[in-house]
Amino acid sequence: MKKNIYRPIKAVIEEVIEETPTIKTFKLKPEAPFGFAAGQFIEMTVPTVGEAPFTPSSDPGIKEKLELTVMKAGEVTAKLHTMNKGDIVGIRGPYGAGYPLDKFKGRDILIVGGGVGLAPLRSLLYNLFSGIDKYNKVVLRYGARGPKDIVYKYQIPEWSTKDKIDVMVSVDVGDETWAGNVGLVTTILDAAPVDFTKAIGIVCGPPIMMKFVTLKLLDLGFNPADIYLSMEKGMSCGLGKCGHCRIGKYYVCKDGPVFTYEQLKSERDIWS
Amino acid sequence: METYFLKNEDISKFYERINQEYDLYLPVKVKNPLKAASDSKANLPTDDYSLKKYAQESKEDFVFNDYRCIEPIKTFLTQYKEEVCNYFEESDKKGKEGRPAALCGIKNCDLFSLKVQDYVFLEGTESDPVYKARREGALIISGDCPHFKETCFCRAFDINPYPSDGFDFNFSPLNNGYLVDAASDKAKVIISSLRNVLASATLGQISGRAGKRELMLRRLDEHLIQYKIPKKERLQDIILSGYDSPIWQEQMRTCVECGGCVFMCATCHCFLLTDEAANNNAKRLRLWDGCMFNNFTRVASGANPLKLRYMRLRNRYLKKFDFFITNLGEQACCGCGRCIDVCPGKIDIRYILRRLDESRTFSENKDVGNNIKGAG
Ligand code: SF4
Ligand code: SF4
Ligand code: FES
Repeated sequence: MKKNIYRPIKAVIEEVIEETPTIKTFKLKPEAPFGFAAGQFIEMTVPTVGEAPFTPSSDPGIKEKLELTVMKAGEVTAKLHTMNKGDIVGIRGPYGAGYPLDKFKGRDILIVGGGVGLAPLRSLLYNLFSGIDKYNKVVLRYGARGPKDIVYKYQIPEWSTKDKIDVMVSVDVGDETWAGNVGLVTTILDAAPVDFTKAIGIVCGPPIMMKFVTLKLLDLGFNPADIYLSMEKGMSCGLGKCGHCRIGKYYVCKDGPVFTYEQLKSERDIWS
Repeated sequence: METYFLKNEDISKFYERINQEYDLYLPVKVKNPLKAASDSKANLPTDDYSLKKYAQESKEDFVFNDYRCIEPIKTFLTQYKEEVCNYFEESDKKGKEGRPAALCGIKNCDLFSLKVQDYVFLEGTESDPVYKARREGALIISGDCPHFKETCFCRAFDINPYPSDGFDFNFSPLNNGYLVDAASDKAKVIISSLRNVLASATLGQISGRAGKRELMLRRLDEHLIQYKIPKKERLQDIILSGYDSPIWQEQMRTCVECGGCVFMCATCHCFLLTDEAANNNAKRLRLWDGCMFNNFTRVASGANPLKLRYMRLRNRYLKKFDFFITNLGEQACCGCGRCIDVCPGKIDIRYILRRLDESRTFSENKDVGNNIKGAG
């Protein structure tokens, strides 16, 4: 029988990691191998509640496991946050266009993440780490609201010890435990050790952060065609049919979610 | 294409033949409770038509419709609310769909709308299996429009009030019968079993039809002059340049957000997937959705890019006249006028397009004026 494009396959929750008070990472085992490219998204079903789109945060090289880092926001994610090891969810996809890794060869790559926006970037980082010889260097600048809101706290220190990788984290509001930079992520970009006019910029985070980071990167001399944005819109089908996720002449689910700023710069109100 | 002549008295033989294989739907006259009274003084027909399933006993009620029916053809291809799959057990009930539909009384505006619906549901990364089965199974029996409704404006976008392709059969009323075009292989097979009631069309009959068509074009074009609807080639430009126009806010004042315009629209296609518990399984429903609704673009966090009403009206036009012109090469509007008929707030697409066109023309002229001044 031809596969039904709306039907999810089963995936078992194998582990739940509490990242922050509102963000959890779910490690899933799909009933069949499930491949994806960094930046592509999937539709996840909480049975009988509904679906929501997520960009996996796991290593795209691993097809047997899938990790989703999910912030509690609406009905579906609220229910998901109550689920435990052994519970069943559904997944379908992957959908859309991810990061064109080929175009990053030989370049400086500046990755700027905000909040839970580090999730899709983590799967990109896994890709970059495993082929690090191909790139000039990878610089990660991550911003979170406070020290408690940082995701992957247990991994970031290890990333910073890797060769050709430079990591810095900033928080909007510090506390007694925090000795690092305090301020919006835009304030730690000026000194990033990359050649701005030739570097690739990759941005993922809440819309308002994406807007100001993009403006900042343009200011620093980045080429609009080298700025990659992971756009977020309300979605339903993920297939370019339901009409929910339009930005100008594009559907985020089909033509994105990763777009260059060059593609979007003539569209109106892209950040709202 | 083969063209035949079918006498009025033989039409039930044609229907009976179709009915052997298909669920046949034919137009009947209906009273439309939703109809807003027309402001036009023009002496135009006001009947409404709707498609009803063929039954031998009520066959006197079936008519040849003068123009499109109330319901757009999309209602036979997707439903307001329907199950598209269940999970996780695969139990697609085979044969649930029954016989394919034969749709009579389809006009050229609706045939045009299929370009949009097909693009959405058949093209792209994957095709929608439910739509595809119905679309491929359907037999489309279109017809010329011998009249038009006050709200018809197909010709504004170069769509003729008579079909030239995209159908299986087309019926053109002529004297005491119909010229019947058989375009598809499906149609030709049916024709071969109806030889006894069909005669090849004569040259005289064909030119008789051409004359009627020309006259209809002329009458419709004359009717449309008063609306000053912009030409197809200008649509995308005026929508983009009209982004900040006050028209959106002004026209949205009377909208009651009933969604009539999007649901009745021949080309609107948006939907929402939603899940429902079913025994120890779950089913996924596809509901028609519409961009005129408040929560259409709202995300889980509560943010809503189209939070204000005027933004939603503008968004609908951008989708029809920017997105679709770029991606499909055609505007997602066939000029069927259903949105005008249905709107309790009397929001009129003809008027909005005209206003956008006029302010665009005004600013173009101003630009020219400024340039001349600057040069001097
Ligand atoms: S819009 Fe044109 S094709 Fe459609 S019913 Fe009216 S006259 Fe006929
Ligand atoms: S916008 Fe109005 S006139 Fe155009 S296709 Fe839709 S219902 Fe018909
Ligand atoms: S999510 Fe349905 S069109 Fe993009």
